[in-house]
Amino acid sequence: MTVESPPRTVEALREAWYAQDIEVDARPFWAETWRRFRGNWVGVLSLAILILLAGSAVLAPLLTSQDPLVGQPIDRLRGLFSPGHPLGTDEMGRDMLARLLYGGRMSLIAGFLPTLVATLVGTLIGTWAGFVQGAVGTVLMRLMDMLYAFPAILLAIAVSAALGPGLTNAIVAVTIVFIPPVARVAEQATRSVVVQEYMEAARLSGAGRFKLLRTQLLPNVLNDIVVYASGLVGVAMVIAASLSFLGLASQPPTPEWGYMLEGLRGSIYLAPVLVVLPGIFIFVTSVAFNTFSDALREAMNTRLN
Amino acid sequence: MTTAAADTEVQPLLEVDNASKTFDIKLGLKRAHVYAVDEVSISVQPSSTLGIVGESGCGKSTLARLILGLYPADRGEIRFAGQSLPRRGKRPRAVLEQMQMVFQDPYSALNPRASIGQSIAFPLQVQGMAKSEIRDRVARVLQDVGLHGNYATHYPHQLSGGQRQRVNIARALATAPRLVVLDEAVSALDKSIQAQILNLLDDLQRAYQLTYIFISHDLNVVEYMSNRVAVMYLGQVVETCAADELYQRPLHPYSQGLLASIPTLDGASAQPAQVAGEMPSPLNPPSGCRFRTRCPFATDTCAAHVPVLAEAEPGHLVACHLYPSSQPTTTSTTTPNTTPTTT
Repeated sequence: MTVESPPRTVEALREAWYAQDIEVDARPFWAETWRRFRGNWVGVLSLAILILLAGSAVLAPLLTSQDPLVGQPIDRLRGLFSPGHPLGTDEMGRDMLARLLYGGRMSLIAGFLPTLVATLVGTLIGTWAGFVQGAVGTVLMRLMDMLYAFPAILLAIAVSAALGPGLTNAIVAVTIVFIPPVARVAEQATRSVVVQEYMEAARLSGAGRFKLLRTQLLPNVLNDIVVYASGLVGVAMVIAASLSFLGLASQPPTPEWGYMLEGLRGSIYLAPVLVVLPGIFIFVTSVAFNTFSDALREAMNTRLN
Repeated sequence: MTTAAADTEVQPLLEVDNASKTFDIKLGLKRAHVYAVDEVSISVQPSSTLGIVGESGCGKSTLARLILGLYPADRGEIRFAGQSLPRRGKRPRAVLEQMQMVFQDPYSALNPRASIGQSIAFPLQVQGMAKSEIRDRVARVLQDVGLHGNYATHYPHQLSGGQRQRVNIARALATAPRLVVLDEAVSALDKSIQAQILNLLDDLQRAYQLTYIFISHDLNVVEYMSNRVAVMYLGQVVETCAADELYQRPLHPYSQGLLASIPTLDGASAQPAQVAGEMPSPLNPPSGCRFRTRCPFATDTCAAHVPVLAEAEPGHLVACHLYPSSQPTTTSTTTPNTTPTTT
């Protein structure tokens, strides 16, 4: 039994409970998540890299005075640390640093925009399908599965080729490719949340379906979706770069990392270091997004408490 | 605790009349019916506690959800304060406010993304209560269950299991209900915490004139908390009587077996036969009396006729062919589950 004699009356019980209460600071969910995230150095490093890349892309005009679109053919393929061109020049004589920085804008847009739109649409579809289930849910998810069955790159190429060249069309293609996986994640997350007892408790309050969806279901489902979507940005960038490499997305002379790879491809024996530079940027950004997404998932996982 | 006799003139707060609930599941390619709750009738007097006891899978939790309207009943009637409740569709909010539930698992019963205060305030917000009133009410129910008011800004993962269960109780009390269904509310807690929570529930019942339906598989806890007890087996009620009568003179063989199986610390005297075997699957319940496959007193009548839940002694209902009150009338030779209604 207990070590000390248990309190007799309920008032004494409550006094004992109050005495045990330690002052715990209230911590909202995001503050708590940030605190955990801070402890993971890999995650913090990847976040720092991403902020650096995004910042340099946004601040490109301040970081370089060179024009990314115009170059002198006589300057072509200068090596690293050449005077006036810290990262050399490409095959048309344009400054590499300028093209990488301005190209970063294009690549980041090509990464974020499709992910954002696909997340919105996919969440709506998946959450609704998981919530109502039944015939509607099944039909929606089978439609998603039909698209999901295609390999991502192939589907992106097909849609892009159908829509025609151009970065905008490539962004649309990547959006379409990403809606099914997000819908899947949303549906699975929704199915696991609706059976929780707090959903039943919320139903007892008499709230309508939409209110339940919005206040109880969605905040819990968004956890998983945000983690998944943050990893998708890197994938979107790679797919967009692949489309550019194939000539389906960015058109000359727009700087974009994938397109730059394609242009420099012919010069790989002449200036190998220059040729891999855009590839390195794509690689680093993609890995940074993946790592950040993993670290975010760990930080959000409160069940380990 | 009031005696059963004193309550018979007062109208029951909740009456369940032959409620049934069947789930359709798929077994491979075939469809099967699970007769989760089969013609259950109970009644609860105001300001008293009805305990519902049974093994896992006997339909207690399904019955709780039928009472609260979380599942629609297939057949039967549920009356709250004399008013019949619709079987399907949403219940009027005035009724919903008066019936609340405390769930079993303190960990999954609270929204992890909402603070304690938000979780408790949610039903009040749905009602449309003013913000200042909500704040006051939340503070008061937290105080009632013995938690500091500033716990309202905390999150579930910052609380222990016992504290979370207290928050669940606070949430159930927020709308000032008259009936609280406690579905295995203390089963997931340590024994010492269980005792604290049970004392708290007792205190709250006296303070607020609450009516409890206390569902548990733990006989000791049910004995402590209840005025009347209903014993369920495989979706049916087999015995209903006052709590002390059940523990001193159980009439149904299943109840006798259950009570014999409570471990005691005194030396084992000659114990009557405990309940042998396992509960049959609710997919294919035995014909006639469902307990006959495990009953030491089973006869041929038990296989042929369904025993009627009837009064063998004043205030003590049993469904067993050992008692003449349960002999069927001429019409009840078929088991109720062979004619399912289409929903």
